[in-house]
Amino acid sequence: MSNADQPLLSVRDLEVTFGTRRRPLSAVAGVSFDIYPGETLGLVGESGCGKSTTGKALMRIIEPTSGQIVLEGTDVTTQTGRALRQARTKMQMIFQDPISSLNPRRRVKDIVAEPFDCWKSVRGPERDALVSDLLNKVGIDPEVYGDRYARQFSGGQCQRISIARSLAMRPSLLICDEMVSALDVSVQAQILNLLEDLKVEYGLTLLFIAHDLAVVRNVSDRVAVMYLGTICEIGPADALYSAPAHPYTKFLLGAALEADPDSPARDDVLQGEPPSPLDPPSGCRFRTRCPYATEKCVAEAPASREVAPGHQVACHYPLTVTTKGPASDD
Amino acid sequence: MSEPLLVVRDLCTTFATPTGRLRAVDGVSFDLGANETLGIVGESGSGKTVLSRTIMGLQPRTNVEVSGSVRLGGFEVVGASETAKRSIWGTEVAMVFQDPMTSLNPVVRIGNQITESLRVRLGMSRAEAKARAIELLELVGIPSAAERFRAYPGQLSGGMRQRVVIAIALSCSPSLLLADEPTTGLDVTIQAQILNLLDELKQRLAMSVILVTHDLGVVATRTSRIVVMYAGRVVETGTTRDVFYDHRMPYTRALLESSPKVSNPSHTRLAAIAGRPPNLTELGAGCAFAPRCAYASDRCRAERPELTAAGDGHTYACWHPLAPRGAPS
Repeated sequence: MSNADQPLLSVRDLEVTFGTRRRPLSAVAGVSFDIYPGETLGLVGESGCGKSTTGKALMRIIEPTSGQIVLEGTDVTTQTGRALRQARTKMQMIFQDPISSLNPRRRVKDIVAEPFDCWKSVRGPERDALVSDLLNKVGIDPEVYGDRYARQFSGGQCQRISIARSLAMRPSLLICDEMVSALDVSVQAQILNLLEDLKVEYGLTLLFIAHDLAVVRNVSDRVAVMYLGTICEIGPADALYSAPAHPYTKFLLGAALEADPDSPARDDVLQGEPPSPLDPPSGCRFRTRCPYATEKCVAEAPASREVAPGHQVACHYPLTVTTKGPASDD
Repeated sequence: MSEPLLVVRDLCTTFATPTGRLRAVDGVSFDLGANETLGIVGESGSGKTVLSRTIMGLQPRTNVEVSGSVRLGGFEVVGASETAKRSIWGTEVAMVFQDPMTSLNPVVRIGNQITESLRVRLGMSRAEAKARAIELLELVGIPSAAERFRAYPGQLSGGMRQRVVIAIALSCSPSLLLADEPTTGLDVTIQAQILNLLDELKQRLAMSVILVTHDLGVVATRTSRIVVMYAGRVVETGTTRDVFYDHRMPYTRALLESSPKVSNPSHTRLAAIAGRPPNLTELGAGCAFAPRCAYASDRCRAERPELTAAGDGHTYACWHPLAPRGAPS
């Protein structure tokens, strides 16, 4: 059915604008990317860069202002009513706060069975068997815990239950929005490993949204870096981390703290803070903090260009990609 | 000047909860010298925040029992009256909390929040205090400090608010700064700015700093010593290098190995620790980490290991310590 060359999800010029006409806040300002079947695309950026809004706009939890979202050949952007709800079963979302994403007064097995009950797809013993199977898959014993209430579980366990629920309709795309950032490192590692296993078992494609650079590299095949509503760089995870082409990516990676006392001291800390999306800079959105910015960056928003196969950067002066020789220098 | 700046001995903080007595800090001892940075590392519920608050002398008035000793510059914090403690707050020890929005009063201009302690503790006049507050705002890197003096916390970004909180903490020149998760919740680029600022201020003002965090990356390059906590107890302590490279306690290793690293290639399998941190009201007699530990034996479940010296200033609490670095395993 799905062909590896055909993207599973294709997003073109996605824009989300909040606020009034007089004072628009462009949270997502023209984002385009593809996700191919079976891969994990990491979406990384600082708070306010629009990464969560992008994820929610894909699900149409937040209505996109413009742009196109095509999932498995279906244009999700134009659908309404039942067709939209049907499309949403193909993409599921897992949220940051595991405890508030579950109803504390419902039993675990009812929470996981909710999608089945909504769609009346399976009932009776078959439904119960599927629920038990899902709970087993995420490491929660349905015999012991199935009848307990969501409020009786820890954050890590709640996140496991959320995963079980999201897998109930056998989605092809899972959107994970900061799903491990509220968890302790030891629990975070369990959930990340679980996600990798389930990805293989269920043939999932993942959009993994997070601010933690180490976590994103760990789970992703490709990574997109967002800044102030735009994607500034997208490429294979290891290539992007070892040879960032966009100055922002370089500074972001430089600021990441490595748990190693011998890691070299960084003095090239990015100064200042991201500008307000209510009043974004002209031209390149990063130019106000970029040490390499010139007049061209003020005048003209950089178009995305390829620095290596599958590695695109939106910068007038991309940093040299060492393995591929000097980048073009206009 | 023979005694270190901070001497903590056998410190216990016990809360009376409806489900039983909860010993959040259990027999913690360590020293901190002048102009030293100590990292206190642990997962949530390990007691690191309660420990830092107990050192500061900030506990609820009821349902809490503190025993042991915290000597700060010769002053005994445990058992001191509120009035006595107030005499060291600000001038001897100050604290920076995790959430800068909740530690600032949202309806008071930031300038007034800084001058408050200057006026009350140092008896400065209004004009002196204002001049000093602007100096402090400049010291912590707030641009156009004189204008920002009149700003409300809500008008500042998270990073700027944390700088204001640091300015307040530094206002009476404390000899010890307790920073409890000072950068959690801040973006990485802002986190780097704040940690660099703390480092620089420590050098400039010759303070000691205790950095409490769950993030090993935060302490790796910025501390001289580290205390690793688990379930209220110190499980390993030593120089930063000892803790990272020559750890003996399996928990320390597990904590290091379970955190993803920026430099590791993608899809590196993480060494997850099974289970989760224990419920402190239901601790057994043995080692609290035993149920999750790969090396646990019957002895670990029956008998609690005490801190054992592994070398100069390096101690660990484990019956089956890992082999020292370089030794045959």
